[in-house]
Amino acid sequence: MLEVKNLSINYETHEGIIKAVSNISFSVEKGKTLGLAGETGAGKTTTALGIMRLIPTPPGVVKGGEVILDGISLYSLKKRQMRSIRGSEVSMIFQDPMTSLNPVMTIGDQISESLRIHEKLSRADAAKRAKELLELVGIPGERYSEYPHEFSGGMRQRVVIAISLACNPQLLIADEPTTALDVTIQAQILELMNDLKKKLNMSVLMITHDLGVVAEACDDVAIMYAGEIVEYGTAEQIFNEMKHPYTIGLFGSIPKLDEDVDRLTPIKGMMPDPANLPEGCNFQDRCPKCCAICKKQKPESFDIGNGHLVKCHLFSKGGEANA
Amino acid sequence: MLDNLVEVKNLKKYFNTPSGVLHAVDDVSFEIPRGKTLGIVGESGCGKSTLGRVSMRLLDSTSGTIIFDGKDITDASGADLKALRCEMQMIFQDPYASLDPRMEVGELIGEPLKVHKVCASKDEYNSTIKSLMDTVGLAERFLHSFPHELDGGRRQRIGIARALALKPQYIVCDEPVSALDVSIQAQILNLMQDIQKERKLTYMFITHDLSVVKHISDEICVMYLGQIVEKSPTKELFANPTHPYSVALLSAIPIPKVNIERNRIILKGEITSPINPKPGCRFAKRCLYATERCFAESPELREISKGHFVACHNI
Repeated sequence: MLEVKNLSINYETHEGIIKAVSNISFSVEKGKTLGLAGETGAGKTTTALGIMRLIPTPPGVVKGGEVILDGISLYSLKKRQMRSIRGSEVSMIFQDPMTSLNPVMTIGDQISESLRIHEKLSRADAAKRAKELLELVGIPGERYSEYPHEFSGGMRQRVVIAISLACNPQLLIADEPTTALDVTIQAQILELMNDLKKKLNMSVLMITHDLGVVAEACDDVAIMYAGEIVEYGTAEQIFNEMKHPYTIGLFGSIPKLDEDVDRLTPIKGMMPDPANLPEGCNFQDRCPKCCAICKKQKPESFDIGNGHLVKCHLFSKGGEANA
Repeated sequence: MLDNLVEVKNLKKYFNTPSGVLHAVDDVSFEIPRGKTLGIVGESGCGKSTLGRVSMRLLDSTSGTIIFDGKDITDASGADLKALRCEMQMIFQDPYASLDPRMEVGELIGEPLKVHKVCASKDEYNSTIKSLMDTVGLAERFLHSFPHELDGGRRQRIGIARALALKPQYIVCDEPVSALDVSIQAQILNLMQDIQKERKLTYMFITHDLSVVKHISDEICVMYLGQIVEKSPTKELFANPTHPYSVALLSAIPIPKVNIERNRIILKGEITSPINPKPGCRFAKRCLYATERCFAESPELREISKGHFVACHNI
């Protein structure tokens, strides 16, 4: 469905070149959800904007790579063609439902907007379809002519979802869709998204920092660190057989609900400055298993079986750790 | 009763708004034993931050009593209140907004020392700042940095150093790790636990994150719309959640494991307005087990096993 190949995106600023995303590849199958997980500044949102061709230029520059959606290479399209794909074939849900809606437009008009642009529906038809969409996401159709401030956070996120689904996209990019919401509301929204995904047979790219959300919603997982995908595999592979020291550290940092741990085991230090990445592996300074080669040479992604990719020198001989 | 550092009885805090009286905290009682951590959990708008602020007299209560270290401080003012501030401090949620962007790290940490004139000489002042930076794990080279030059984790360390500067006994931590990434969050949580042990601090730990509160608290209060619906020792609450809201809240947390069986309870609707609440249980509207009585009569907190209190008619 979606294939991203060797995508690299830089931000070129006065202070230097920031390698926000370097050489990442992944794919999302039809009807499946890929989770893109990582911490602040790992390059998750930049990746999503790169797929949508929405990188602000300047300072953003797409350095190379390809994004292929359903057989079409998006970066070979003209701007006008891209505009017709955006919002109809691919659409995006943003993190903050408070700021992604227009406060002076009724929610009905905001949903109809993309229908009138992409599907060329008449005003009346678009309104009818918008009401159906509201019902689909669990909002009574009568609230069509209300303004965003009349809705709560969870309801606004439902409206944003309704807008993104308006033209039956094949791919939905959800950028931290539940981060701004309370847990009980988050549970409602995740359930809604799962239902809709099944009903409409969409593919979803779910961007989140919450590994709990990943476990719940995703079939495949890519763990990002400092602009690279360090580990990639099915949810079972990542959650049950995690291999990369960063992934292991990430899991060790989370307080567990079902186990009693007196002390957490954090990852020492912080993510390197993306404007000044080290030679060799980006994780070297924080890695408990760092060896001489890690300081000199960037690791490749090694397949350790059944498509489970790990970007770490420890796995260079295709199997168990050899260090 | 000197083993309880903080005791709060029937505390109420109402705000007058154009559309009516907002019951932010409504008849809340609890006590925190010396050296322990009380966790307050609940969703946005349930009154947890207001409770924290009222308990340390940053806001005046509408009614109720606050007893700190054996003294009634509900109406303390002037010099008494200023002296109290040395005993109780706060760590704020957002390390981006709670630090003056035009002050250097050293000045930020030294500010409480200056305000309360605790240092006799310039040398003592400088060495106190350095030792505080050392305690919270900030390298000395950051002494003259500005907050914007530091990342969230380091900024939160400044916030903690400021709170520790006056050697308080009681610290209200209002979502201290919510704005941080998990790997940094774990560093800060460990730091806070170490400091607590070392200095025998008493914490009130306010958060919406149940896994964090479970990790750090000895006792937990679950709040809903200004009221405590369940109060219990941490282990007991997670082993045996009883109030329908606590049960739903616990079941709603996404667990980072795949292929596990879960009995998820999805609550309908959202938190209702705390303005002019109707009589009866505030959770009744969203509750799966609500009966007529729940809509008519407000439930009281009752002890169902040792130390475990629940406010529900159906238990």
